[in-house]
Amino acid sequence: MNFWFSIFRQTGRNLRQTWTTMFMTCLTVSLSVLIFSFFYLIYLNMLNAESRLSNELRLVVYLEEEPGPELQEQMRLKISRFDQVEEIKFISKAEAFNRFADQLGDNREVLTDMPQDFLPASIEVIPLKTLRNLSQVKLFAEYLATLPGTQMVQYGQKWIERFYSFIKLLSIVVLISGFLLILTATFMVASTIRLTIVSRQEELELLKLVGATNNYIRTPFLLEGILVGLMGSLLGLASLYALFQWTTHHLAGAGFLDLFTFIFFPPGIIFIIIALSIVLCTAGSYTSMQKFLRI
Amino acid sequence: MSKATDSRTMIEMIKVTKRYPPNVMALDDISVSIASGEMFFLIGRSGAGKTTLLKLLCNMERPSNGLIEIAGMNIHQVTGNKLAKLRQKVGVAYQDFRLLTDRTVAENIAISMEVSYKKPELIRNRVRSLLAQLQLEDKHDMLTGDLSRGEQQRIALARAVANSPSLILVDEPTGNLDATSTAQVMELLSRSHNAGATIVIATHDESIYRHSSHRIMEINNGRISSLTKGDGQGWPNAAGAMDGGSGDAI
Ligand SMILES: Nc1ncnc2c1ncn2[C@@H]1O[C@H](COP(=O)(O)OP(=O)(O)OP(=O)(O)O)[C@@H](O)[C@H]1O
Ligand SMILES: [Mg+2]
Repeated sequence: MNFWFSIFRQTGRNLRQTWTTMFMTCLTVSLSVLIFSFFYLIYLNMLNAESRLSNELRLVVYLEEEPGPELQEQMRLKISRFDQVEEIKFISKAEAFNRFADQLGDNREVLTDMPQDFLPASIEVIPLKTLRNLSQVKLFAEYLATLPGTQMVQYGQKWIERFYSFIKLLSIVVLISGFLLILTATFMVASTIRLTIVSRQEELELLKLVGATNNYIRTPFLLEGILVGLMGSLLGLASLYALFQWTTHHLAGAGFLDLFTFIFFPPGIIFIIIALSIVLCTAGSYTSMQKFLRI
Repeated sequence: MSKATDSRTMIEMIKVTKRYPPNVMALDDISVSIASGEMFFLIGRSGAGKTTLLKLLCNMERPSNGLIEIAGMNIHQVTGNKLAKLRQKVGVAYQDFRLLTDRTVAENIAISMEVSYKKPELIRNRVRSLLAQLQLEDKHDMLTGDLSRGEQQRIALARAVANSPSLILVDEPTGNLDATSTAQVMELLSRSHNAGATIVIATHDESIYRHSSHRIMEINNGRISSLTKGDGQGWPNAAGAMDGGSGDAI
C-alpha cells in the first residue's frame, strides 16, 4: 500500500519534470505503432480477400474431344492420382453452349447462327481447400496439361500470380515495419530513460544514501516505460482507426472497392499490439536502468 | 566477529585505515568504540580526516584496512535491501549539504522519511515541527537553491534527523551560523540525543563542545591525537583512555 503510494508519487514527480521528453517519446512510439499496424491491417485485409477469392479458385481443363463415359472415368482416376480434389465436373460441349447463352442473357440471339458444339468440352477441377499455395496450384495445372487430349489449362494465372506476389511483398513490408517498431520503441524509451537518469544522477545518488531500496528507485522508471508503451500504442491504434473509418467512409461509394469488405483488427490483435508495445518500452527502460543506474 | 560488540555499542572501529589514491593517508590506524546513545565530538584541523571518518561510517567510502561495525553489523559487507534498511536508520548531514536545489525545503526534508514509507500526514507534521524548531517556517515552500548557506545547512540537518534515525552523523553543523542559530541547531541535536540517538559531530566550532560533558576525539593527520571529555577534565591521550572511556561516557 504505502510502497505503491510512494512509487506513484515518485513517478508523478518524474513525469512532472520530464513530461516533454516523455510526450515526444510517446509520439514516436505511437507513430511506429501506426506505421506497423497500418501495413499489418492492409496485409490482413489482403489475406481476407485472398481467402474469399480462393474459395472460387477452379482449374478449367479444355479438351480436344468430348470424352465418352469410359474416358471420363479414366481422367477422373488420373486427376485424383495427383491429388485429392474437392470436385471434378465434366462440362460437355452442349452444356458449355448453354452456359454461355445464359451468360449472354438478352443477347443470346447472336448465337443463333453458331453450331451447338463450337465451344470445347472441359473439366472443371476444384482443388481441396488445403491446396491454396500458388506453386502447388501451378504444379497441379502443369500436371493437368499433360493429360492426354488436353488443349489448355486455365485458372486465371496472371491475376492470381500478381495477387500472390503482392501479398508476399506486403508480408515483407509488415516484417520490416514490425522490426522498425521494435527498434524505435525500445531505443527511444531506452534513451529517454537514460536522459532522465543522467540528468537526475544527483537525486538518485541521494536517494540511495538516505536508504531508498532498489525497487523504490527503479519501479518509477519501469512504470514510465509501461505508461509510454500503453499511451503510445493506444494513440497509434486510435489514429489508425480514425484513418480506417475515414477511408471506408469515403470509398464506400466507389464501385470497384465493393469487391472488398474492409475489416479492422479483431480485439485479440489489438490486445497483442498494445501488449507488445508495453513489453518493448518496458524492456527499453529496463536496459537503460541496468546500464546507467549504478545500484 | 561481533564478539567485541555488546548491544550497547553503536560504532566499533578497529584499526581502520583509509588511503586515497595516489598516496593520501586520510585515516591511519583509528580504533574507537562509541556507545549507543552517546554524543561524540570529532575535532581536528582542516584536512585532518573528519569527513573521511564520517564517510566510512555511512558507507560512502570503504576503508582500505580495518573493521567497522555499526550496531554489530559490518556495514561494508551489507548490500541490497539490508543496506537500504541500515541507511534508513542512519541520518547524515553532509558538509556539502547535498540538498536537491530544484526542490522545495519541505520536499528535501521529507525525502528521508519517504524512502521508509512514512505516512504523508506524519511527514507533513514532522517537517513543520522541524522547521518551527529551526525558525525556518516561512521557508517551507522555497527552493533550497535560493536559500543562504546557513539556511541550507540547517535544512540539511533537519533532513538528517527527520526520520528519527538511531545514528546521526553531522559534519560541520554550525559552520555558517550565528550564535542563536547555533544554539537552535544544538538544541535540535540534543533532543534527538535525549530520544536515544547516537550522535557523532565533526566540528571546528569550539563553542559547541567546550562546555559539554561528552567525549571529544581529536584527529591530526589521520591519527587520533587525543580523546578527552568536555570542560577540560579529560585525558591527555587517547590510547589508554579508550576502553575505559566508552563505559562511563553516557
Ligand atoms: N576523494 C578524495 N581523494 C583524494 N584525497 C582525498 C579525498 N577526500 C579527502 N581527501 C584528502 O583526505 C584528507 C582528509 O580529508 P577530510 O575531508 O576528511 O578532512 P576534514 O577533516 O573533513 O577537513 P575539513 O575540516 O576541512 O572539512 C585531506 O588531505 C584530503 O585532501
Ligand atoms: Mg570535512
